[in-house]
Amino acid sequence: MKVLATYNIKGGVGKTATAVNLAYEAAIRGHRVLVWDLDPQGAATFYFRIRPKVKGGGKALVSGRRVLDEIIKASDYENLDVVPADFSMRNLDLLLEGSKKPLATLRRLLKSVAHEYDLVFLDCPPSISLASESVFRAADALLVPVIPTTLSIRTFEQLDRFVEENPEVVEELDVIGFFSMVDRRKRLHRELLVDLRQVRPDLLDAVIPAITDIERMGVHRQPVAAFAPGTRSARAYSALWTEINERL
Amino acid sequence: MSEVHRFVVTGAGDPSAVLAGLAERAGLRVVSSTVVERTFLDTADGRLDAAGIVLELRRPLEGGASPTLVWVEAERLVATAPLDAPTAPRFASDLPPWPGAPHLASLMEMRALVPGPVTRSRLTTLAALDREEKTTARVVVDASALPDGTELPVLLEVHQLRGYQREAEKLEKLLVARLALEPTTTTAAANARRLAGAPAFLRSKLRLSLDPTAVAADAWRDVLRELTAAMTANFAGTLADTDSEFLHDFRVAVRRTRSVLQEGKGVLPPGARAHFRAGFKWLGDITTPQRDADVHLLDLPGLVQLLPADRVDALEPLHELLVERQRACHEQLVGDLRSWRRARLGQEWAAFLDGDGPWPPDSLDGDGGHPDGPPGADAPDASRPAIVVAAARIRKAHRRLVRDGRAIHAGSPATALHDLRKDAKRLRYLLECFGSLFPTGDVSVAVKPLKALQDTLGTFQDTEVQAHALEGFGDELVQRGAGAPTLLALGAVIEHVSARGAAARRQYAERFGAFDSRAVRGAYERLSDDAEAAT
Repeated sequence: MKVLATYNIKGGVGKTATAVNLAYEAAIRGHRVLVWDLDPQGAATFYFRIRPKVKGGGKALVSGRRVLDEIIKASDYENLDVVPADFSMRNLDLLLEGSKKPLATLRRLLKSVAHEYDLVFLDCPPSISLASESVFRAADALLVPVIPTTLSIRTFEQLDRFVEENPEVVEELDVIGFFSMVDRRKRLHRELLVDLRQVRPDLLDAVIPAITDIERMGVHRQPVAAFAPGTRSARAYSALWTEINERL
Repeated sequence: MSEVHRFVVTGAGDPSAVLAGLAERAGLRVVSSTVVERTFLDTADGRLDAAGIVLELRRPLEGGASPTLVWVEAERLVATAPLDAPTAPRFASDLPPWPGAPHLASLMEMRALVPGPVTRSRLTTLAALDREEKTTARVVVDASALPDGTELPVLLEVHQLRGYQREAEKLEKLLVARLALEPTTTTAAANARRLAGAPAFLRSKLRLSLDPTAVAADAWRDVLRELTAAMTANFAGTLADTDSEFLHDFRVAVRRTRSVLQEGKGVLPPGARAHFRAGFKWLGDITTPQRDADVHLLDLPGLVQLLPADRVDALEPLHELLVERQRACHEQLVGDLRSWRRARLGQEWAAFLDGDGPWPPDSLDGDGGHPDGPPGADAPDASRPAIVVAAARIRKAHRRLVRDGRAIHAGSPATALHDLRKDAKRLRYLLECFGSLFPTGDVSVAVKPLKALQDTLGTFQDTEVQAHALEGFGDELVQRGAGAPTLLALGAVIEHVSARGAAARRQYAERFGAFDSRAVRGAYERLSDDAEAAT
C-alpha cells in the first residue's frame, strides 16, 4: 500500500480537487483506493456526498477505541472508499499530543487496512504542525500543487527544506510538485511556467488548468471525470496520475 | 468495496419494471441500462473460475462504444478497461495495464484465454440514494440469453456498500417481500456455461476412483480410457497451438499410457500390448520437437532476467530463432497428427478399449492371427484383483528406484541420474494411475518425497539439455551472423543454467535420503499390506 498526501502549506491551491480526482482516476484504472479526509472543513467528504461525521470523533480514532475499518464509507465509485472528515479533527494536533507516539499515529492507523488498499490519499489541511508531521511520517509521497507564482515556489522550497532538514520527523518521503490552477490566458502564468521550471526542473510535466469544470465539482459533488469525462480538466488529471504512477 | 447478495428472480415478468414501480418507496434511481454482448473468458482448464474470477468482454449493442474488458473477483468489480482491438486478450501479456494484472498473470501462467459462452444481456443498475443523493446500495438486474434465445435465469444482485449495511439490509428486505427471489451463488457465467452445454474445464490431474475388488483388466482399461479422454480433450488445442499446455497435457497422457502399457505385462494380451507400445512411442516421439521448442520459448523470459538490463536486447536474435523453430516444428506436428498412421492408431485403440473384462487372447498379435481360447488366456494377471497386481508393480518399481538411487554417488555419471529419473517417473505414474485402489493416506506419504526427488532429477537433466541446446543455438546464430553481444549474452545464460544444474546435483543426496527414509519405505510396504487385506 502506498500512501500519498496532497499537501501544501498554503491553502486554496487545489489540494482537495487533486486528492478526489486522482483517487477517482486510480480507482477506475483498477487500484483499490482509500481517501482520508483529514481536513476538518471536509471538502473531499462533501464532494463524495458523505456525511462528515466519525462516530466518537477523532479522539476515539487516535486513542485506539475505534479502528479505521469501522468508519470507512464506500463512495459511489467501485474501488474507492473514504474516511470522512469530522469537525473534531480540527484539534488533531491536540489529540496527537496526548497520544504515546504522535508521529507514528497515522501510520499505525493505516497499517490496519494495508491489506485492503493499494493506495491511500490523505487530503491534508494547510499548515505545518504536529498533524502534518504525522502525515509526513505516514506518507510515501507528498503531492504538492503549486500555483505558478513566485511565492508558491518559495513555499514549495520551504517544504522541501523542512523534509531535508528534519530526518527525525521524515524518514523517507518523495516530494512531488506539479503546477495547479494554471490560467494560460494570463501572460504572467505562461511566463512563470517557463521560468519556474528552470528553477525546479523536478516539477511534473502534467499541468492542472484553472477551468470552470473543476470549480463545478462542488455543484455536481463528483470527480471531474465522473460528470465531465473526456474534457480538458479530466484529461489533465488523467495525465497527472499517469505521471505520478510511473514515478511511484 | 462492497458485499454482494445474489438472487434468482423466480417470478414471471420483467423485474426491472417491478423495480421501477418500487423506485419511490425504496428511493431507487436507474443509473444505467445497457444491452451488451458478453463473452466469458477463461483458460481451457478454468483457472480463473477456480479462483472465483469472472473475466468478460462486453460489446455494447447500442451506441457503438468500444468493447470493454471487465474483471470481477469475489463478487467485486475489480477493474474495467476499454479495448483498442476488437478481439479479447489472449495471453497474460495482452492484458490491460491493470495494477492487479500480475495477479491474473500468475494464475494464467502460459495458458491462453479462450472464449467461452456468449450472451446478450440487458444489465440494469439502480442505486438507492440518501438525502444527499449519495448511493447507499446498488441493485443490478442481469437479464441474459444465449444467441439461440435460451434465457438464463434472471439474476438480481444487491450490492451492500461499506458503511451503509443497514440501508442495504432494509432495501433487501423490501425487495425480497415484493419480488419472488431465491438466494443463489451461481454466476451468470456459470449459468451460461451450463445452458450452452459448454465442455467441462480441462484438468491435467487424473480423477480416477478405481474399484479395488475389480479384476486387473478392468482397472487397466479404466485408466487407459481416462488417459485417452485426456488425449482427445487436448487434441484440438494441440493442432491449433492455442497454448503450449495443450501439447504438454497431450504428451503427459501419451507418456502415462505408455507407462500403463509397460506395466500391463500379464494383464493385456502380449501382441496387442507390444503393438500399442510401439504406436504410442511413435505418437510421443512426433510431439517431442515442438515440446522442446515450446520449452525453449517458455524459458527464455526467465533466462533473459538473469542478464543485466543493458544486455537484455542482445538475446532478441535468439528469440527470433526460437519462434521460427517453434513454428516449423508445429507445422510438422500438425502434418503428423493428421496422418493416416495417427488416425489408424486412434481407431485401433478405441476398438481395443471397447468392452470389459479380460481381453480375448492376442486379438492383435504380431502375426495378425486370432488364436482361440477364453478371454485372458494369454494374460495370467488379467483376472486377478486389480489391487494385488498394482501393488506388486508398485513394489517392484519402488525396489528398483531404491536400489539404483542408493548406487548413485558424487562421481556417478550424468546418465546414471537420467536413468534414475526414468525409474522415478515409472513409479510416479503407477501411483497416479492406480493410487485410488489404495487408502489415500499411504499414497500421499509415498508420493510427496518422490515428487521432490523428481523435481531435483528433472532440474538436473533439464538444465543439462537446456545448456546443450543453447550451445547449439549459439552455433546457428553464428551462421546467421549474430554479433558478439548476442554470443556473450548467450554464454552468460549458459553459465547460469549450468550453475543451476550443479546446485540440483548437490541437492540429490538430501532429496533421495528423504525418499529412502524409514517412514516412506513403511508407506510403500503398507500398500502391499493393503492389497493383501483387500483380498
